[in-house]
Amino acid sequence: MNRKPLSGFLGLLVFAAAAFGQAPAGNLGGPFRKPAEAVSALKDLAAGFPAVAALEIIGKSAGGREIPVLRLAGGNPAVKTAPGLRPAVLITAGLDGGHVAGTEAALRLAGKLVDGYVKKDGKITALLDARTVYVAPLLNPDGAEAYFGAVRSGRFVNARPVDEDADGAVDEDGFEDLDKNGAITQMRMKDPEGVFIPDPKEPRLLRPADPAKGEKGIYKVFPEGIDNDGDGEYNEDPPGGVQLNRNYPHDFEYFVKTAGLYPASEPETAALLQFMTDHPQIGLVLAFGLENTILNQKQTGQAKAGSDKVKPIRPIAELIGLDPEKEYTLKEIAEAATTSGIGGGMTITEEMVAGFLGVGPAMEIDKADLPFLEAVQKDYKEVLKAAGKEGLEKHARGAGKGSFGGYVYFQYGVPFFSTDLWQVPEPKKEEPADKLTAEKLKAMTAAQFLALGEEKIAVFLKDSGAPPQFNSRAVMEMVESGKLTTIRMAEMMAQMPPRPGAGSEEHPDAYKLQWADAVWGGRGFTNWTPFKHPQLGDVEIGGFCPHFGLNPPADEADAAIGVHVDFYLKIMDNLPVLEISGIKAEPLGGGVYGLTAYVSNTGRWPTSTAQGRRARTAWPIRITLVLDKSQTLFSGRPAEEIPFLDGGETKKVEWTIRAKPGSRVAVKAWSPRLGAVEKTAVVS
Amino acid sequence: MRKFTRIALMAAVVLSAGFAGSGGVPDSAGAEVVLSFDHWYDNAAIGRALRDLQAAYPGLITVQSIGKSVLGRDIWAAVLNNPKTGPAERKPGYYIDGNIHGNEIQGGEVALYTVYYLLKNHGRTEFATDVLDRVAFYVVPSMNPDSRDFYIHEASDPNSPRTGWIPRDDDRDGVADEDGPEDLNGDGSITTMRKRDPNGRLRAHPDDPRLMIPVKPGQKGEWTLLGEEGIDNDGDGLINEDGPGGYDMNRNFGYNWQPEYVQGGAGPYPFSWPETRAVRDFILAHPNIMGAQSFHNNGGMILRGPGAGNLGDYNPADVRVYDEIGRRGEKILPGYKYIIIAKDLYTVYGGTVDFLYASLGAFTFSNELDLDLVEEIRLQKPENADEEERSRSFFRGLSKEDMILHDQVFMGEHYAPWKPYVHPVYGEIEIGGVKKFGERVPPLFKLAETCHRNAAFVLYHASEMPAVAFEDLSVKTLDGGLFQVDFAVTDAKATPTMSAQAASRKLHRPDRIRIGGPTAELVAVGEMRDRFLNETRAIKPAGQAFDVSGGIPGRGRREFRILVKGSGPLTLSYDSLKGGSAETTVELKLAAGGGLPFKRASGRA
Repeated sequence: MNRKPLSGFLGLLVFAAAAFGQAPAGNLGGPFRKPAEAVSALKDLAAGFPAVAALEIIGKSAGGREIPVLRLAGGNPAVKTAPGLRPAVLITAGLDGGHVAGTEAALRLAGKLVDGYVKKDGKITALLDARTVYVAPLLNPDGAEAYFGAVRSGRFVNARPVDEDADGAVDEDGFEDLDKNGAITQMRMKDPEGVFIPDPKEPRLLRPADPAKGEKGIYKVFPEGIDNDGDGEYNEDPPGGVQLNRNYPHDFEYFVKTAGLYPASEPETAALLQFMTDHPQIGLVLAFGLENTILNQKQTGQAKAGSDKVKPIRPIAELIGLDPEKEYTLKEIAEAATTSGIGGGMTITEEMVAGFLGVGPAMEIDKADLPFLEAVQKDYKEVLKAAGKEGLEKHARGAGKGSFGGYVYFQYGVPFFSTDLWQVPEPKKEEPADKLTAEKLKAMTAAQFLALGEEKIAVFLKDSGAPPQFNSRAVMEMVESGKLTTIRMAEMMAQMPPRPGAGSEEHPDAYKLQWADAVWGGRGFTNWTPFKHPQLGDVEIGGFCPHFGLNPPADEADAAIGVHVDFYLKIMDNLPVLEISGIKAEPLGGGVYGLTAYVSNTGRWPTSTAQGRRARTAWPIRITLVLDKSQTLFSGRPAEEIPFLDGGETKKVEWTIRAKPGSRVAVKAWSPRLGAVEKTAVVS
Repeated sequence: MRKFTRIALMAAVVLSAGFAGSGGVPDSAGAEVVLSFDHWYDNAAIGRALRDLQAAYPGLITVQSIGKSVLGRDIWAAVLNNPKTGPAERKPGYYIDGNIHGNEIQGGEVALYTVYYLLKNHGRTEFATDVLDRVAFYVVPSMNPDSRDFYIHEASDPNSPRTGWIPRDDDRDGVADEDGPEDLNGDGSITTMRKRDPNGRLRAHPDDPRLMIPVKPGQKGEWTLLGEEGIDNDGDGLINEDGPGGYDMNRNFGYNWQPEYVQGGAGPYPFSWPETRAVRDFILAHPNIMGAQSFHNNGGMILRGPGAGNLGDYNPADVRVYDEIGRRGEKILPGYKYIIIAKDLYTVYGGTVDFLYASLGAFTFSNELDLDLVEEIRLQKPENADEEERSRSFFRGLSKEDMILHDQVFMGEHYAPWKPYVHPVYGEIEIGGVKKFGERVPPLFKLAETCHRNAAFVLYHASEMPAVAFEDLSVKTLDGGLFQVDFAVTDAKATPTMSAQAASRKLHRPDRIRIGGPTAELVAVGEMRDRFLNETRAIKPAGQAFDVSGGIPGRGRREFRILVKGSGPLTLSYDSLKGGSAETTVELKLAAGGGLPFKRASGRA
């Protein structure tokens, strides 16, 4: 029987496991609730505090488990807008099944809001009277259930049977817990075709052999298990499933089995998308997940940037009077098309133009949105620093292909923030005090540099990967003669790629192992132990345990969750607030009045994101003038639109009416994400 | 008599009289069902016709409702299979749908005609018998019954309703579907409003005042076009800005789906509507579907994907298959052009055509039914060759040729002359224009030809679904009780047993050859690389079977050599998800005095 190494997704899983780390086998500790307990907790809140909390089951997972959403809305009778129509915020968690700390954080946030409302906390009462908060803490119940299973594999997938190896049999070759420790780890086997070697500094960790350094591979690595279907592959088609955080429609990756057959193929995804479609009041999504998009705004989609300008195709260009060789914004093309009359009097919208011309989707964060995103990042970094948690930044994961966050920002068109709560802390690297860095070099004079001496300069050149002809004598002569300056050297140093093998290279996961040893008493990693495999013969079983590093240990969970719950509550302070700040009625004579309504956004953030406007999912602000029977509109439309308002911005809308002095007019301003406000004025 | 009219007349006579039969005893039950294709079937009539056919041909057709539309109508589907030649799942499947756009109704009649034709002629003509014996059919005549019925029974126009019936707030005013068109003059169609306007951009055509042409700089205007018939229902200063629905179900499918700002009408996410979900589930329930057709109107095209250019063209090996069928289609449907959607037409993200091919590996065409009849008139020598007078523009600018069609061919049935009307907002206006059946759907005298020719194309495509067979079997006795069995597997038809798309993207399971027999044991398998040098490429068997990766190419042949132990009858069976199946048996005789090769000609499903 052939012995085949890791292939396809399983290979990625092992690397991902090695890169991101996995949790220890057996009892992980931690105050994390199982799916059924999470649902019960929400049911208890709804049953116990019906004035503020209501529970809705928005769908069922592929495995038939409930997906709950808790609606929190104040019951203040003075607030006229029904809870379902107030501007809303959506809190999500649990999409990456094993990130149970996220579910816990969402539950605690819900609890904190209910508690605050019941105890009449000023801020929380004001929040829940003005806005509705939806909390969806368990978006991947199948994946979460797997976290608490007797044997854990670390997969995030739902329970849908997927024929991952396209052989016609579904889920026929899953993992086996051969060493009966409750965790699926790895098997390594000595093989002439092996590519892995133990890391010289941390032999428990494997890394690929580097032929350039004269290294020869020793091991093949497989996930723990046997070849159930006798096809020579090991565990290539385990039970399940689709990774739900890859199943969303933005930048969806086709032909990857675990992303789903098509976007929203999974009942969990469709349920959430339908919920968000049915609640267009949602103006902000705050997530607890494995991504930390506040720190890492990198979009891992295709690199092509969405262009603002396109060339209209020749037949269209000629018809509407544009130059087919020039580029125009969609707005310009739409305007030209409308005035040309090709629509027969119909208004041609940018949407129609984009659809007809086949202009593609946006793939990069809109420049106009960067300022407020960066402001949040700045706030967040300060909060983390104050709490001593700056370590989150180094390994922060950005949004991936088909991710929920990508959908929310690029298609649903509202701000999206995700935090991962905790990472395995990486100890600070101690730089030797006299180590020469590019920064130090820049600040040195030639004399100071030469004063270092030949030996130190030689070490510096070696460390920074200088080519061999740059020996210290040659370099010193060049600096002496003025041919080479320290600034120029610093520039060259910055541009050098790190020399392979230079310096002391640690395995990228070594710090995780050190933490597991020092702080977690050795849990988190199964040491390589020989095992007699029925098919492969002599192997060793070991490796990071599933889910290692995803969730904080019990004694750190409260602090990690607490900091982030508070930060999310603070973010909500930024939300836009719609106001009609004034109505002016200016008599023009003869019973004719010029009306001006001043519409303001008194919040910090703009009323919509630039991407939301590009995606046409952002709503303009609709300003309606309500006249009584005795009044007539002379100029202006009964309903006007303001596309958006920046934070703190005021815009005016003007009408001219004929009215009797002393009569009243009303102005309403509304958009689903901002709610409705109304103001009346007396015409005099 | 014009050639086209003659054919149509013959077709109508033949069809309405029932088939006279070209041999074989007429099925007495079948003779009771007579369908004519000189009128429009609404959704209930489609359901009745299918159920009547089911009663008349109980073994061959099963009718089911695959789901409910938004307004609760049944989405009717029919499965056609001849159980005497095997279960449907083991045959290549052919899927047909029509009328996903509610106003594009003739696809419903064409699909119904295809079903009717097959049932009527199975057992009578060799062609129909062969196709229905070898291929299983999955037919959904109307994917959008709500809009179909509205188009037929209510006041509409040639282009609408295209949408489904979930309310959508098109003008973003907080209310959905509050301002659609109205049939102000009660003539059963939504036509156009115009107002006399000395500053208008249009003026009357000098030869026919019913027509309007653009004003030249310096010329005096006469008319302003106001748009479709309707009033400002919600008092917001706009007319007909938020009618029923407002989306496009043929942008809601799962491959290369894009959000609405990239692809208008696509909906919030793939398969977000009951009709698209019902059809998706029906298609996914039949993974043997290998060929497909989605009927649309109009223009006379045989379309293939890709619908958009961002993911590249289809696999070249598959393109060759498409080209063969498409080009022959141009001869079956004279005037229709075989073209590529993204390259030659416009961009379509998330259409049925791409989902069926790219995600599922089935060869899918989409026919835009019916040529523009006015072109026939244009091809004749023009009475007045003045280019400018012909003013074909994008807005409903009718030309003189159009009026010949309406006046003399349709004899006014589909044209409403301009008549005065007093409008609540615009005051004195005129209402008139082409009525709902006057464009894009064929006039009823042409319907039967549209049905027959497109059914013929679809059945031709279906007849080119894979047909696998074992050929050239030979058995050689080796030492130690071992037999060497050589055989070839062929596909006689243009379509491979597995598309290159499915093979390269691993969309579904590979084809499999399995041996069977009381004592048979598969020892080794090789594919013949060079028969003369006896070179084989090793294939790893899995138990008593092995995979044929990539399947059998269209009109192709692959040769295999297997080593087996055992004796007695040895069955070889070919099992393909979409390519059908075949079986054959050879005898393994333990030689008394040396093994003589035993040749067996062929075996087929």
